[in-house]
Formats: sequence, structure tokens, C-alpha cells
Amino acid sequence: MNAKGMFVDTSICTGCKACQVACKEWNGLSGEPSHFAKKAGYPYRVANNFSGRSYDNTQNLSATDWRHVRFIEQFNADRSEARWLFASDSCKHCNNAGCLNACPVQAIVRTDLGNVFVKQEVCIGCKYCIPACPYGVISFDQRTGTVHKCTLCNDRIHNGLGTACAKACPTGSIAFGDVPDLKMRADARLVQLKKLGYEKANIYGYDEAGGLNVFYLFLDKPEVYGQPEKPVVPQDRLHISSGVTVAAAIAVAVGAAIAFRERGEKKDKP
Amino acid sequence: MMALESQAPHWEWYYIALYFFIGGVSAGAYFIGSLIELLGYEKHREVSKAAYRIAFPLICITPVLLIADLGRPERFWHLFFSNGPGSIYTNHTSPLSVGTWALLVYSGMSFLSFLNVQVEDGRLALPALKKVHEMFSRLPHKVYAAIGSFFGFFVAGYTGVLLNTTARPLWAGTDPWIGALFIVSAASTGAAAIALVMARRQALAPDTARSLQTFEQPVMIAELAIIVVMLAVAGRYAVPLLTGLSGVLFLGGAVLLGLLVPLGRQFMARAGTAERDGGVIITSAFILAGSAFLRIALVQAGQS
Repeated sequence: MNAKGMFVDTSICTGCKACQVACKEWNGLSGEPSHFAKKAGYPYRVANNFSGRSYDNTQNLSATDWRHVRFIEQFNADRSEARWLFASDSCKHCNNAGCLNACPVQAIVRTDLGNVFVKQEVCIGCKYCIPACPYGVISFDQRTGTVHKCTLCNDRIHNGLGTACAKACPTGSIAFGDVPDLKMRADARLVQLKKLGYEKANIYGYDEAGGLNVFYLFLDKPEVYGQPEKPVVPQDRLHISSGVTVAAAIAVAVGAAIAFRERGEKKDKP
Repeated sequence: MMALESQAPHWEWYYIALYFFIGGVSAGAYFIGSLIELLGYEKHREVSKAAYRIAFPLICITPVLLIADLGRPERFWHLFFSNGPGSIYTNHTSPLSVGTWALLVYSGMSFLSFLNVQVEDGRLALPALKKVHEMFSRLPHKVYAAIGSFFGFFVAGYTGVLLNTTARPLWAGTDPWIGALFIVSAASTGAAAIALVMARRQALAPDTARSLQTFEQPVMIAELAIIVVMLAVAGRYAVPLLTGLSGVLFLGGAVLLGLLVPLGRQFMARAGTAERDGGVIITSAFILAGSAFLRIALVQAGQS
């Protein structure tokens, strides 16, 4: 069966956040709890996880925000010129998924439709998947003691429906379907945009992390949209760091063998 | 402001960094002790015994720390069994999974070596434990010293590989050096813990003290070298490790107090002779504290 995925065409996103709302509705996600902390200029602790100065209020993905419309607000000094870019971000369901590689308990699994899914009843809350994700997607929830992220609407897609966010998207910026079909669509759109003069337009996600099942069309470099240019799946480096560690262990063992050798012995021999 | 490319796991220093430290001391002491036993260095039998006396009690603390940091501590056994009853599980791409198994095997071996020492000293009174000892004594003691030695190195080093195998800027930027750093740090702290315990019991022969120092010094110099290489490799990603509280812990605690001061003290002691008991205790305490600071700084700075 073909992997299911999403193609996010950021060139037609209007930043309406209907996808965020639909995601919360379908998946029964609560509002993001406030994280209070001290902030310069305030005598009391303030919630520091909301920007408060942008249409992009949640700023990143979390255990309760599985979708996040990123607002890129670029103004010049006197604010006479401006560029607004929007991109609806979520878990990319990488084919080489750092979180899945890191999970020590088989709580993070890939289903037959290619989506990466966290089994809530298995997760032990070790949090090792969190730094293993090169995109900062998967997050811990204190209330459940487990990690959460976008499931690609696992329940919906296994019952013949599309994802809730794609269903709600009023401009077709988020398209759900079979990955090969979506790629054809993305390629055609890229050609169209290049003809219209968007020279920096690019598709993000064909090669990154073994290929992303949720991939993007950006109008500018990936960094502008807060995505790493060359994401490295951490486990790709595992062999080298293990090798260096083993070499250090051998060196230490040799060192111990020399340092503790029986000094007296040599003198006894003629 | 752009969102971070990776999120911090929010591991607590008093659980995870402390585990890295205690596990390192235990494993370091054990692999020194077991190597001496394996190589048949009878003259240093006391070092082996001291190492085994340290290794097992320390490793007993670590599961508590590890389980306490879990979001669902009651599910810790999922690390060993998954997908239905009796199905043993490991994930070869996860240092955490493989490390958990290594820790289990290592704990078992260090327990058996601990029992040996207790029997040798005639201190094993419990009949049940005596039976366990008799049962496992059918195997030559060197067999479990060998297995334990291997897994001791594993326990000492995998924690560094675990940090390197992430997307956090500092931990990924210092790849592949934290594993090697933790190995040499475990070696010096293991030796320091042995020296400390033996000196406190006034059982540290001058010859033994010299051997321990002969081992410690090049290891600490190697540790300094690895730190320099690691910082050079990390470049701008090393900034969190060199600034703020982590910077103080790392530069002041780990490098200065934990490495430069002990090296200085050992060189200052009269050439050719080892430090006396009091000096050994102080030097060893510096080495141990420095190693704790090293791990706390690395774990915390990687999450900031």
C-alpha cells in the first residue's frame, strides 16, 4: 500500500489557522498550558511560551499543539515594506525517523500507511525521542507522563478519511493523499511558480531524513521557515561515535595493563 | 524568532547527570578491578577488591535515579519486555535501549564480584547469598570479571554516545567525542574512588598508590585533550557549555578543579613518590567532584 502523506503548499497558505483548530478538535487536544517564568521588566512571573507580539502566538509545536502555523513576519526598519510568509508545520512522518530509532520500548511505531505513531499505553516517558527529532516535533506532556505528536490522524486515515487539517484547509494549502500522487502535484506546482518568477521556490522533504511523508513547497530557503537546511537523523552518526568510544575504551584498558603491571617481576629475571 | 530545530528533553540533572556520574564511577572502578584480576596481577589484588566493593553498591543507586526521571515510572519494565508477555525487546539503533541491557548485565556481574570479595573476607553471613555464591563459583571468577569488564566499559561509555546521538546543537556538535570523554573520565574517577577508599582505610601501600597515579595521570591528560578537541569540533555550538552557570561548572569545576588541580597536586608531590593518604583523599575528591560537574554541565548546557 502506498504511504499516505501531506503536501503543504505554503504559497497558498493564508495563515487562517483552521488547520490548528481542526487538529485540536479532532484529536481532543487542550489549550497549551502556560509556562510561567520570570521575565525582565515584570515584578511577577509571566507566561513565557506565548510570543505576545506576533500573529504566531504558540511559536512551536508541543504536546498539545500538533499543528502550528508559522508566521514569518519580515519588516524593514520603518515598517514601510513587509513580507509575510505562512507555513503550516507538523510532524513530517520521516521515513528515517529519529524518534522511532531512539525509542527504547517500541512505543513509537510506523503503521502500514507509513505514518509514525506514538502508542500512549506503551510510552514510559524516558524523553529520549525528544532530542532525537531533528525538527523539534515530539514533546512531553507532564499530565500524561508520555510524549505526544501528530499521528497523521491515524484513526481517520485507517478508515478511509483524510487528515482533519487537510479537510479543514480552505485554500488547499494542505493536501492529503498517496505520497507519489502528492509529489506529482508538487512538481507541477513548482514549475508553475518558477514560471511566475518565484526563483527561490523549492520543495522540502524529498531527500531529507530518508524522505518526508509530509513535505513542503517553500518560497524561500528552508531556514526562513524555521526548517533545518540539512537535517541529520542522529542515529546516522551512531557507528562513528560508538567506534571512537570503543577506541577510547581499548586505549584505557591498555593503559591499565601497563600502569598496574607487576614491577618487581623484571628485576627477578636475570 | 525562529523556533528551535530540536527540543530539549528536560532531563533533571539530579537524576540523569547524577546517574551518568555514579554509573561512571562504578563502571570505571569495576573495569580497573576486573582488568587487574583478568591479567593476574596478584600484587594488586587489594585494588581489585576495593574496586568490587565500590562498584556494586554504587550501581544499586542508579536504577532508582533512572526510573525516577521517567514520566511513567511504573512502566520501566517496558524497556525489557515489549509486545506481549515474555517477548524480550532491544532496539539496536537506540543507545538507551542497548545501554539498559548493558546496565542489567553489568549489575549482575558486579554483584557476583562483590559476593566474591565478601566471601574472601569471610563477611558473607546470609545463607541465601552463600548459596548464590556457591552456584556461580562453578564458573571461574575470571569469566564474570571478563563479561563485567566489557559491560563496565559499555556502561561508562554508552551515556556519552547517547548524548551524541541526538539533534541538540551542543550534543550533536560535539559528536563523536562525548563517549570517549566519558570513558576516560570514568577511568580517572574509578581510580580516584579506589584510591580514596583505600586511603581512608589506611590500606593504600605506596607501591599501589604509585600504580594508581601512573594510571590516572595520562588518563586525565587524555581527558583534557579530548575536551580541547571536542570544543574545537563543536565551534559555536559549544557556547552554552562555556557561558553562564554551565560555563562555571564546566571550566571552573570540571576542567580546573577536576583536572588541572589534581594533576598539579600530583606533580607537586615529591617526584617519584606518591602522595600520602591525606593528599590522596583530597586529590581523589577533586577528581570525583570534577567529573560530577563535567556531566552536570554537559547535560544541562545541552538542554539550554
